[in-house]
Amino acid sequence: MVTVDGLKPKAVEKPKTAEALAARLSQATRAGEAVIPVGGGRALGMGDPPARFDLALVTTALDRIVDVSPADLTATVQAGVTLEALQAELGKARQFLPLDPFGSPGHTIGGLLATAWSGPLRQRYGTPREFLVGLQVALPDGRLARSGGRVVKNVSGYDLNKLHFGALGSLGVITEASFKVFPRPLFEETVEASEAQFADAWREARRALELKMPPVALELLREPDRHRLVARFAGSEDGVRRMVRELVWAPVAEADFWQDHSRRRADRWVRVAVPPEALRDVLHSLPEAARWWAHPGVGVAYWVDFEAGQVAAVRAAAEAAGGSAVLVAAPPAMKRELGAWGRQPATIELMRRVKKAFDPAGTLSPGRYVV
Amino acid sequence: MGLGPRTLEKLRRAVGRDHVVWDAYDLVIFERDASITGALPDAIVYPANAEEVAAVLEIAAEQQLPVVPRGAGTGLSGGAVTLHGGLALSLARFRRIIEIDPKGRTALVEPGVVNYDLGLEAARHGLFYAPDPSSQKACTIGGNAAENSGGPHCLYYGVTTNHILGMEVVLSDGSVHWVGGEDPDQPGLDLLGVLVGSEGTLAVITKLRVKLLPTPEAVSTLMAAFPSIESASKAVSDVIGHGIVPAALEMMDKVTIGAVEAHYKAGYPTSAGAVLLVEVDGLTESARELTAAIEQILEMDEAFEIRVAEDPAERELLWAGRKGAIGALGHIKPNYYLHDGVVPRTRLPEVLREVGRIGEHYRLPVANVFHAGDGNLHPNILFDLREKGIMKKVEKAGEEMLRACIDAGGTLSGEHGIGLEKNAFMPWIFGPDDLAAMQAVKDVLDPSGRLNPGKIFPPAGQIEPKLIARSGVASEARWW
Repeated sequence: MVTVDGLKPKAVEKPKTAEALAARLSQATRAGEAVIPVGGGRALGMGDPPARFDLALVTTALDRIVDVSPADLTATVQAGVTLEALQAELGKARQFLPLDPFGSPGHTIGGLLATAWSGPLRQRYGTPREFLVGLQVALPDGRLARSGGRVVKNVSGYDLNKLHFGALGSLGVITEASFKVFPRPLFEETVEASEAQFADAWREARRALELKMPPVALELLREPDRHRLVARFAGSEDGVRRMVRELVWAPVAEADFWQDHSRRRADRWVRVAVPPEALRDVLHSLPEAARWWAHPGVGVAYWVDFEAGQVAAVRAAAEAAGGSAVLVAAPPAMKRELGAWGRQPATIELMRRVKKAFDPAGTLSPGRYVV
Repeated sequence: MGLGPRTLEKLRRAVGRDHVVWDAYDLVIFERDASITGALPDAIVYPANAEEVAAVLEIAAEQQLPVVPRGAGTGLSGGAVTLHGGLALSLARFRRIIEIDPKGRTALVEPGVVNYDLGLEAARHGLFYAPDPSSQKACTIGGNAAENSGGPHCLYYGVTTNHILGMEVVLSDGSVHWVGGEDPDQPGLDLLGVLVGSEGTLAVITKLRVKLLPTPEAVSTLMAAFPSIESASKAVSDVIGHGIVPAALEMMDKVTIGAVEAHYKAGYPTSAGAVLLVEVDGLTESARELTAAIEQILEMDEAFEIRVAEDPAERELLWAGRKGAIGALGHIKPNYYLHDGVVPRTRLPEVLREVGRIGEHYRLPVANVFHAGDGNLHPNILFDLREKGIMKKVEKAGEEMLRACIDAGGTLSGEHGIGLEKNAFMPWIFGPDDLAAMQAVKDVLDPSGRLNPGKIFPPAGQIEPKLIARSGVASEARWW
C-alpha cells in the first residue's frame, strides 16, 4: 500500500502505457482529484505532507527499456525502469549512467528525475540535469508532451527537460527519459584517510580536489570517533596510479564501499546544499554529535537522525550562506512544524505562474512541492 | 514605420542621448546577423545596466514595440534579426568581467563579454571556460547563453547550459530576477535551465555566473587521414565504442581539406577523403595512454596517415585549419549556407551520403566540417549569390539535408539554435502538444510576446520559412 506522510490514497493505479497514464491523469483532473506520482517509492519522504491524496499513479509498469545504443552513447527508458535494470543493460557494453543515488537500490528513473536525488559521482559528472537529453511527460490535462530528443546535442526548442527535473512531479508525470550515457572508466581505484580533527579532514579534502586529476567522487563522513575521507579515482591506469601516489591515502577498507554507501537512508534526513566554498562553515555549525556525510567538492551534505529543535539553526546557517537545508525525510509532524523546503526562492512568483500554466487545477501533489 | 519623436526621446532619457540610434545608415548595420535573413530595426538602444534594460522594456511595453536582444550578431539562425522591426537591444556596453573567483572556479561576467576574452582572463588563473564556438573570438557569453552554443570541445565538456550557474535577467514586464546560483540542488523550478537556450524569447540576460575549469596538464592532438568519409565515420564510432570520449573529435571532408590546404597549409593530406582531428587532454600519462590507444584504433580503421602534434605550434596549426575552414571555403565560392542538424553518430555515413547526393542534385558544392563525435553535422553549401535565383536552390538543399537528419532519428539543431531559420521545421520533431508546453512557458514569462517575436515557434499558416527583407535594403547583391 502506498502512503505519503501517513496519508493513504483512495485508489492506487498502475497504468501499463504512457497513454493510459495520461488518460487517467486527465480523468483525475476533471474529477478534481489529487494525484501523487509514485515510482520505486524510495524518496516519498520528500516534500511537505500533501494537502490531499486521492490517487497514486504508480509508474512501475512502465518498465520497458526502449532503446540502448552503445555506439551512440544514448539510452531511452520508460519511467518505471529501475536504475539497476538500466545499469545492467548498459553494463553489457561497458557503459553506465553516472548516477549513484543514496537510498539505493530500487529507485526508478522517473523517481530519480522527479526528486533530483543523486550521489557521490556528481562530483565528476554532475546530476542528471547535465546528461538528461529528452523527456516525455504526461500533463494534467492528459496530453503527452516531449522535450529534447534522443541525440546527445540538441538546442531545438525550450529545454523543458530541466523544468521537470527535480520538480517532484508537480508539473507533470515523467513517463519516458533519454540520456547521454558514459563509457565505464578504463581503470578505477578508491582510497581513504582518517582525521581526528574536522579542520585537518577539510584540508585533506581540499588537497584531493586540487589534484591535477581530481577524484570522480570524494566523500567526507562523520563517524563516531573520526572524520573519514574516501576518494574514488577513475581514468587511465597510469594517471589514476599517479594521483593515488600523490595523495598518499590508504586503500579503502571495504570490498565495495560505494555500493554500501549508496544504500544509506534514514527516517530523519536533511540535505544541506550551499556554494562549495561555504560548506566548511555550515558543517561546522552542525551539532557536535551529529551524524552526517558530505560531498566537499559539490557543496552538499546529508545529515541524519537529528532532533526537530536542531534544524532551525542549521537551516539558518545554510540559507545565510546562500543555500538551503531541505528535509529529505522526516516524520510528518516535524515536516509540518519546520517545512520541508525552508526559505522561499526569490523567484517564487514566476514559479507559481509556471505551475499554474501546467497544472491549473492543482491536481499534482498539492502542497508537497515548493510551488 | 519609424518611431515617433516622443518615443525616441523617452528611450534617450532611459539610456542616455548617445545610446539610441535610428539613422537609416546605422540601422542597416543591425539588419542582419550571420544568418541568411535580415530585417531593419526601428531603433537600436544601448543600455548599460539591468535598470536601463528594464526601462527600455517598459517603454517598449507602452509603445507595443518588439524587442530583440543582441550580442555580437554572430548567430547563424537569425536569433538577433528584428523580424518585426522594433528595438534592437544591443548588449555591447555590458562588457565587464566583474569577478573571477579562482578558488570557487567561477566568473561573474556581463553578457557582452567576448567568449575568447573570458578565456584569456581565466587563463591568468590557470582556468578556462569550456564552451568554444568557432566564432569565439567575436561571439559573446550572453549570446552563447541565449543560444546554448556548443563548439568542438563540447564533446567531452558539455555545451553552454552545463557551464552556467546563474543569471540576472530582465523579463518583458521590466522585472529583474536572479535565476540559479552557486548553490547546488536549489529548491524550486529550474528557471535557469529553461532560460538558457531560449534565444532571447523569454528574457534579456544582464549578468552571468559561469563555471571555470582548471587547465589540463597535458593536451594531445592528432590528425588522421582516411580514404573516405565512411572509413573516418567508422573510426569515430570505434573510438567511442572503445570507451574513449576525447575532448574533441572533428571531421573534415575532401572539399574542406582542399580549401584549407590552399590557405593554411595545416598539413592535411589532400589525397584524403576525410580527415579527423582528435584531441585528448588531462594528465600527461592519461593523454599519452589515450593517444596511443586512439592511434591503434584509427590504424585498424584504414587511417593511412596519422600525425601527432609534437609541440604547441604544430597543434595550433592543426586547429587553425579546422577553425579557419569556413573562411577558407571562400576559395571555392564567395558564399556559404549551413545547417547544424544532429544525428546518432552511427548514422553519420548514410546521412553524409545523402547530403552529398542532395548537393549533386542541386549542383551545389558541399563542404562538410563538423563535430563528428557528437554526430553534429555542418554541411556548408557553397554558392555565389550573384548567380540569379540561386538562393531558392540553396535553401531547398539545406532543407532536404535537415530532413535527412530528422529521418535518421536526429534533430534540427545541435548548437546554432532554431531562430527564424528553422522554426517552420519544428513540427518535424515536435507535435502540437510538445509545442503547446513550450508555448505555455513563453506565455508565462513573456505574455505580451514582445521579446524576439517570430522565433523558435512555427509561424502560423506559413509552411516554408521566408527570406524577409523588410526594408528591401538587404537585397541579395549587398550581401557581406
